[in-house]
Amino acid sequence: MNCSFSPRFVVFLISAVGLMLPTAASSQGKADEHTTLSLVSEQDALVRGKQLWIGIRFDLQDGWHTYWTNPGDSGEPPRIEWQLPAGFQVSDIQWPHPERLALASLADYGYEDHVLLMVTVRPPERLRRVESTKIAAQVHYLVCHDVCIPGQKHLELSLPVKASAAFSPARPLFDAARQKLPRPMPRNWKISATSTGDEFVVNLKADKLAKPVQFFPLHAEQIENAAPEKSTEVLGGLRLHLKKSEHLLRPIARLEGVIVLASGDAYRVRIPVAQPRDAHTQSKN
Amino acid sequence: MKHNPWWNLVAMFLLISSCYAVKVGDSAPDFQAMDSNGQVHKLSQYRGKFVVLEWHNNGCPYTQKHYESGNMQHLQKEWTSKGVVWLTVISSAPGEQGYVTAQQENDYMSKMKASPTAALLDPRGDVGKLYSAKTTPHMFVVNPAGVLIYDGAIDSKATTEQADISTAKNYVSQALEESMAGRPVSTPTSRPYGCSVKYAH
Repeated sequence: MNCSFSPRFVVFLISAVGLMLPTAASSQGKADEHTTLSLVSEQDALVRGKQLWIGIRFDLQDGWHTYWTNPGDSGEPPRIEWQLPAGFQVSDIQWPHPERLALASLADYGYEDHVLLMVTVRPPERLRRVESTKIAAQVHYLVCHDVCIPGQKHLELSLPVKASAAFSPARPLFDAARQKLPRPMPRNWKISATSTGDEFVVNLKADKLAKPVQFFPLHAEQIENAAPEKSTEVLGGLRLHLKKSEHLLRPIARLEGVIVLASGDAYRVRIPVAQPRDAHTQSKN
Repeated sequence: MKHNPWWNLVAMFLLISSCYAVKVGDSAPDFQAMDSNGQVHKLSQYRGKFVVLEWHNNGCPYTQKHYESGNMQHLQKEWTSKGVVWLTVISSAPGEQGYVTAQQENDYMSKMKASPTAALLDPRGDVGKLYSAKTTPHMFVVNPAGVLIYDGAIDSKATTEQADISTAKNYVSQALEESMAGRPVSTPTSRPYGCSVKYAH
């Protein structure tokens, strides 16, 4: 990745790529030409003290993407500023698991096609029954193709306050997005990692893993995002080799992230990292 | 000059070791590149001075944040006036965003009132890949002994919004200030933020 290439090889690469790809567009336009944003609710009404799910839906133009909470080597995750009536509580964004977006020599974590960034909202117990209550959001986001464009969008949604609520037409979007939310790790999994010279070796003991298995780090600069994913099968599980980030200067106690199986199931993991006892290995760190 | 076969081995070792990314605390790898005025710069010629490397792409909104606000030019002026060598590096490949000819870069610098020591043209991405430059901007600071003392973001607020600059911690200035005062650099690395460097695919 960081190796020097011979000039001839580079010329070959440039010309080979030139044949395969259309020329990069020089006029980028505005961000909202490449994604449509909407504010949607799973329910058609607000109910006093009852939690509901709302979300910001991104419909992305072909070839464009936006980012996960850890965007990887470049980019930036969307930020949502909620404007809610007094007494409303709102959760953090519930991030669906991302895809790995490989660039020339980098890797980003994000979403193509579409994504629903959901939060839960709880209206207060004391809420007047009114015709409509306004929920608004200011969304700051970045969409990228070969090039990146930042955007901002103000979105509003009005919902009546009622004694009970029914599902809105947007409900299938929420069901689909919840399928992609990382769940707690299954109880019968055992996961641990060892810090070696330039790798974290993750040992995952689990039955019936749908392979390949991907690991997405929650924190930046712990692993080298663009390093080739290496995994080996071991008895009763799997071993993942994650290359340490060059930016990681101190030992870490745990790796946090999301493991995604080939089946699409995603799990949150907190992996304790054992430091090498061997003095020789340690001096290399 | 008599050719010593050992040099082949040394050269091969250097080539292999260049396959590994640079790391803070290690020697900053030497490179040679031509600037927008046709002058060749070698990192090693600046031994004895602090050197800042700034990865640049004039079409990238994160680069624009720091140029349209005047922040980058201000930093260039402030630090070069204190004897720091500031090298802007452009690693966009031909046809990619941010690729410029020497003339285009000179026009851009005079329009933006940018005043780095030099703007290095790296269309093959050799210097970028040697340093694993990931984003624009991506900043590196090398101390007078040639050791890399900072590798990462320009500041602590990874956004495209100019309003964030005044409240962000500038890691480049911090590294230079601390190091010049003989103190260890408190934030020697951070996640570089911005657009991906537009290397040839």
